[in-house]
Amino acid sequence: MLSKITCFALNGLEGVAVEVETDINKGMVSYDLVGLPDAAVKESKERVRSAIKNSVLKFPINKITINLAPADIKKEGSHYDLPIAISILKASDQLVADTDGTVFLGELALDGTLRAVQGILPILISAKSCGFKKFVVPLCNANEASYIEGTEVYALNNLADVVGFLTGEKSFEPVQAKSFQAVQNLVKYNYDMSLVRGQKVAKRALEIAVAGGHNILLSGPPGTGKTMLARCIPTVMPDMTFDEALEVTKIHSVAGALGDEGIVSMRPFRTPHHTASTVSLCGGGNTKIHPGEISMAHKGVLFLDELPEYTRHSIESLRQPLEDRVITVARAGGSVTFPADFILCASMNPCPCGNYGSAYQTCTCTPSQIHKYRSKISGPLLDRIDLQVEVDGVKYDDLAGDSNEEPSSAVKARVEKAREIQRQRFADEGISLNSNMGEKHIKKYCRLSAECEEVLKNVFVSLHLSVRARSRIIKVARTIADLAFSDDIKPEHILEAASYRHQDVN
Amino acid sequence: MYSEQEINLITLSSFEELSYKNAVILLSDFQSFEPDFEKYRNLLIKSFKDGVYNKLKGKFYSASYRQKLLQKLDERSIKCVTYFSELYPEPLKHAVCPPLVLYCKGNTDLLKTRIFAIVGSRRTLPNVLKECSKISAELSRAFTVVTGLADGADTAAIEGAIGTGKVISVLANGFDHVYPAMNEPLLKKIEERGLVITEYTPQIQPKPYNFPVRNRIIAGLAEGTLIVSAGKKSGALITAGYANDTDRLVYAFPYGLGVSSGVGCNNLIKTDRAKLVECADDIFYDFNITFKREERCEMSEEEIAVYEAVSQLGDAFVAQIADKIGKLPYLIIPTLTSLEMKGLIVRLGGNRFSAVQK
Repeated sequence: MLSKITCFALNGLEGVAVEVETDINKGMVSYDLVGLPDAAVKESKERVRSAIKNSVLKFPINKITINLAPADIKKEGSHYDLPIAISILKASDQLVADTDGTVFLGELALDGTLRAVQGILPILISAKSCGFKKFVVPLCNANEASYIEGTEVYALNNLADVVGFLTGEKSFEPVQAKSFQAVQNLVKYNYDMSLVRGQKVAKRALEIAVAGGHNILLSGPPGTGKTMLARCIPTVMPDMTFDEALEVTKIHSVAGALGDEGIVSMRPFRTPHHTASTVSLCGGGNTKIHPGEISMAHKGVLFLDELPEYTRHSIESLRQPLEDRVITVARAGGSVTFPADFILCASMNPCPCGNYGSAYQTCTCTPSQIHKYRSKISGPLLDRIDLQVEVDGVKYDDLAGDSNEEPSSAVKARVEKAREIQRQRFADEGISLNSNMGEKHIKKYCRLSAECEEVLKNVFVSLHLSVRARSRIIKVARTIADLAFSDDIKPEHILEAASYRHQDVN
Repeated sequence: MYSEQEINLITLSSFEELSYKNAVILLSDFQSFEPDFEKYRNLLIKSFKDGVYNKLKGKFYSASYRQKLLQKLDERSIKCVTYFSELYPEPLKHAVCPPLVLYCKGNTDLLKTRIFAIVGSRRTLPNVLKECSKISAELSRAFTVVTGLADGADTAAIEGAIGTGKVISVLANGFDHVYPAMNEPLLKKIEERGLVITEYTPQIQPKPYNFPVRNRIIAGLAEGTLIVSAGKKSGALITAGYANDTDRLVYAFPYGLGVSSGVGCNNLIKTDRAKLVECADDIFYDFNITFKREERCEMSEEEIAVYEAVSQLGDAFVAQIADKIGKLPYLIIPTLTSLEMKGLIVRLGGNRFSAVQK
């Protein structure tokens, strides 16, 4: 007897339909699995055997051949257990039911319980676009599967339930579709702008960065709140839309980093340690290609604390994704493209001892040491960081006592308005933020009056800025103008933008 | 190109083994044009290892060694000004241990102008650096500014005066080396527009003990010396010491309490070894030089308000300045930038600003 069951394989963030075919013949007792399975899939044979036995069903003692088709795609992961089991049961006539058009996904425990698997959401989305409507998934993945409308997802607890469900002996309700709005409303960040005392300049710079999607570098003495400020960035970013959330959830699902809600509703904030390898930042892997930190930070913030401490190689690898907002990871086994559209926030000390520019401590570094420390960050990377801002060195007195600080919600409201202006402006351009502007857009949307040109020229001459800074100053000035609801860029916007460029001084 | 006497000095100064003291003894304290190897034979043999005396003597009288030496200097376009040359600055002859030869790159005519020294510490506060550049620019209208090549105060002084081309940088190593390496572009600029000199033959490397020795040339060339910053044990104080010893005028910037990069300056002023200086006019007054003041750049009303606030506060955070004039911090950032562009205030780091005197 021959049976066919549908399942999906993952290639990056895309699902590919896989047929699990089982043929049971008379002959020497054997149990073979073919069709380019990796180690985890090969091992599923043993799990399936025990799971069937322990679900009070019979494992056929015949010549069993299982094929995963198409045979040229590498099959990875543990979610093939359930389709293999169902397919064996069908082929051995223990299960008589119509399984056409149903997609099975799940890992089996030895006692037949279904265990959670990675990548449910991307598979669901791909399968839906291929015309599949009905899914059987592990109960633990119910939340993740509940956000796709127009699907019928059954989240079941064990193999016996699946068999009962298919034969009609037991009845189950499909997972109730959840509204994203409800989850969104529960979002609560642990940080808030109002918790950061003082730091008016840095806060203003953060507001500009978020409004225009600019990358930002915070520099200041240790213990002045750089990390705290960075953690506030997600709190002033606009709420994620459902489409954004799905995109982010797909990545987190593939990486197996999804929380209990089953969807990522908060803006991601990723802080890889400075010992992070290039592969862990950009993504990669031997057989299955995993998304890296920059993709995990998609639609959120990538925070690199102590930027000069990262290896040169790993920082430089960020240059291309910062420009293209996607990363293509190519390996011998194929290449995968992951989205990587994030705000880069980096922090650094102003000098090796950390006290340069501090009002209360003396810096013990020589100018050449400082020069060396700063030149660890290459010009091309600095080129992609639009805002470079210093953080005030604060004293205990500044932290004690009460002062009224603006909450994140107020900043967020202004950011949303500025982003709306940009969305309207770039409606036909395929971009949505000022930071995405290319030379062509700058020419079109950032026309400078003669007065502004004059100011910009003076800025370069008297502040010794490098020419590379020019287009970034204009882009930031555009965002500042948007925050002020000004159609034209005015001299004061350029002057303010220029003040956030101190690292460029050469 | 060079006279026989000059070549004698160049040859002597090319001997790394021969100390300055012994070279001067050989020349009978610059009284003779030719070194007298025979007369001081016993004295020299004592201070050398075996055989060195004969080797040096042989080299000195070897025509091919001399020719090669001069050719090498010529190839690197190094000009030599010796003690016996006409260009050798008169003030330097009266200084402590005048060097035998000045190896020069650049405009050697500057050696015959009036010279003023500006020296200071490598760790000079940003606002003082600005003042240093400014005073250097003003002094260069009447003097040629002489200094070293270190970063910090030296660099600021060079940057101030480079516009007029009247700047001399004295190195503590030969021309084959650049120290600090970071300042190589600056060095090239001075070679083009000003003058770089050293008493060391090209292959000599920078050694820590060369720097204080070099300072005697800076002090010796100049009619007066300005110490812009000096810690407790700064090299700038050694320069001040040389200047004091030869009765040249010494000036110093005053500092507030507890500023570590200014302790040396205040000490000089306290002990009457230096005169307090705030601007170039204080120095010009002593030398009877007067210039007509240039008109100051114009400021808008807003700029005046911010500038006043900054100068009253001393050095202040952006937030403090904003508080003082009662505006939101981000609204004064453009004004601060434009004041910075006009050179009226400087950024101290950490969002602090300080006013520069008008």
